[in-house]
Amino acid sequence: MATKGEGRIMKRALGLMVIVASLVAVASVVGAATAAPAKKQDTSLSGAGSSFVFPLISKWIPALGSAYGYNVSYSPIGSGGGIAAITAKTVDFGATDAPLTKDQFAACKGCVEVPWALSATAIMYNLPGINCVLRLGGKQLSDIYLGNLTKWNDPRIAGNNGKCNLPDTKITAVYRSDNSGTTYNFTEYLAAVSPTWKSKLGVGVNAQWPAGLGARGSSGVAGVITKTPGSIGYADVAYALKNKIRFASVLNASGRYATPGLRGIQAAAATLPAKVTSEDGALSIVNPPKGNPLAYPISTFTYVVVPSGSSKAAELKKMVYWAVTQGQKFGPALLFQPLPKQVQAFAYKQIKKI
Amino acid sequence: MSTVTPDPLAPAPIDRQGIRLGDVLFKGIAFVAAVGVTAVLGLLTYEVFSLAWPAIEEFRLSFIWTQGWNPNSNVYGALVFIYGTIVTSVIALLLATPLSIAIALFLTEIAPGRVAAPIATMVELLAAIPSVVLGLWGILVFGPWVANHLEPFLNTWFGFLPIFSGDPSQAGILPAALVLTIMIIPITSAICRELFSRVPRDLSDGSLALGSTRWEAIRRVAIPYAAPGISAAVLLGLGRAFGEAIAVTQVIGSGNTINESLFPPGDTLGSRIASSYIGASTAIEAQSLLYLAAILLVISLVTNVSAQAIVNRFQKARRMSTG
Repeated sequence: MATKGEGRIMKRALGLMVIVASLVAVASVVGAATAAPAKKQDTSLSGAGSSFVFPLISKWIPALGSAYGYNVSYSPIGSGGGIAAITAKTVDFGATDAPLTKDQFAACKGCVEVPWALSATAIMYNLPGINCVLRLGGKQLSDIYLGNLTKWNDPRIAGNNGKCNLPDTKITAVYRSDNSGTTYNFTEYLAAVSPTWKSKLGVGVNAQWPAGLGARGSSGVAGVITKTPGSIGYADVAYALKNKIRFASVLNASGRYATPGLRGIQAAAATLPAKVTSEDGALSIVNPPKGNPLAYPISTFTYVVVPSGSSKAAELKKMVYWAVTQGQKFGPALLFQPLPKQVQAFAYKQIKKI
Repeated sequence: MSTVTPDPLAPAPIDRQGIRLGDVLFKGIAFVAAVGVTAVLGLLTYEVFSLAWPAIEEFRLSFIWTQGWNPNSNVYGALVFIYGTIVTSVIALLLATPLSIAIALFLTEIAPGRVAAPIATMVELLAAIPSVVLGLWGILVFGPWVANHLEPFLNTWFGFLPIFSGDPSQAGILPAALVLTIMIIPITSAICRELFSRVPRDLSDGSLALGSTRWEAIRRVAIPYAAPGISAAVLLGLGRAFGEAIAVTQVIGSGNTINESLFPPGDTLGSRIASSYIGASTAIEAQSLLYLAAILLVISLVTNVSAQAIVNRFQKARRMSTG
């Protein structure tokens, strides 16, 4: 075989490689240039993780700048990415919606987890022409995601939604294919209300979903839902609101249907005892007990993960303290409910460990 | 160090020193590059296997034929993903190969140069679309089209085949295979075009002179001449399809079951690694994902080695028949 043509391909490939290599070189130089001052000034703090909490952090960044002169940067790469980054110590703090697992704590070597924001997971759906707010119970949600409930006009759903006149459409259950703190919150709820879910699928940032289809990121889930009539899925409530996707009210332990608004989240957090303790920093307010008819059952804390005894410990302490106190006032506009008193007190104790 | 006085008419002696330095440098760089790439491949393989080792020890080879992936109860098996990888790639290959050959033949044998050049550029530009963009298009535009039009059509006319049975789904094995087809066509068609343009003119002219039609000339002369190259191109495309993760992860729906039908979601090795490695909740989950990576590595290496073996065999056969 002649090699002229191959030579041409090779030349092109070589050219491409040179371009890629020079891009990498440029990128690393730029990266080094921006990273260099970080070492000189200790007031520069970098973080990465949860995209859930990103809208709130972007409000905090300028405020922290004017309060302490800190130069905070944050990349919303997802909770999993945040845990990986803080474990590798490539950032000064990580943010995650799912509490760290034992293995993750072990890998992170002396990391401290502090709850620093409070919000909820919304159950989004796409039912064209249905204008009433859908009401769903935990039993129905787990049956949908287990693949046992497949039509919208099934009496098990239609029974609670008499006025809605639900159609004879197939239910497409959408879940996150990537590891996600929102999935953790959602599976924690399903496990709390369904023994089958608890024993078969468990609680975690991902699951062995037996039915439905997976999409990458909240944006992927939202993309599938907006394009598929009859679909249902979940994302943080701020995301659902911002993207104008309808979401359901969910049955709580008091037998009422609650919405994931600030009042619903506040009522869920109000069920915490007057003094909270937790060995690893994780707190749960999923499916709170009877007594708070407004409580939204899929509410969650989201956490900041900071190494203990780092060279920037003093600055990190100050930053997290500011976030759990003054920073909370930025929350309500973004559907983050300010932390209740006892959680703040718990956060102070955690901050001391930094 | 010669003692002879230089002839004034002779050309000035070449600066040997400079050439030697260049030679040495060139040799050195070439050697480092060649050895470096080999070392990277070796180190990478070693690294993947050593990181995956705890999972390999824990689950042994039964991992390969175990179905199930539950990070919350530490059940891990690769079968669903191996199945997904092979099925999506083979479908992509079955669709892309004839299309690529047709494109290449059109561009070299049928289309006039003015038409061929821009089309060739467009086809090659298809390869320049970042896979994440293609995946986004897949989930927002292509997937819904597949679910609303293609799958109902296939189901109506070929629904008696189990592979086209069941409810349409906008994310699944079929849309993933079709996106992969789009991704490998530019690669295989570009190579096929090069191959066909290299078929000696006198061979095809001779065939035409002997009274064969253009199709006969293509079938009897051009295709057999290019056959070894085509099979190598196809295997290169297969390698690309096996390894593609990002576009697939966006359109395959991350399913956990093996279905007869091509409509429901499934998952591939690359896609599962891409979606689950970051933020894996336990050490054993991360190690199991690396075990998947090791399997993918082995499959890809075997594909590439067999591609080379096929090319070598064809070339040997040709040398023997012509020489």
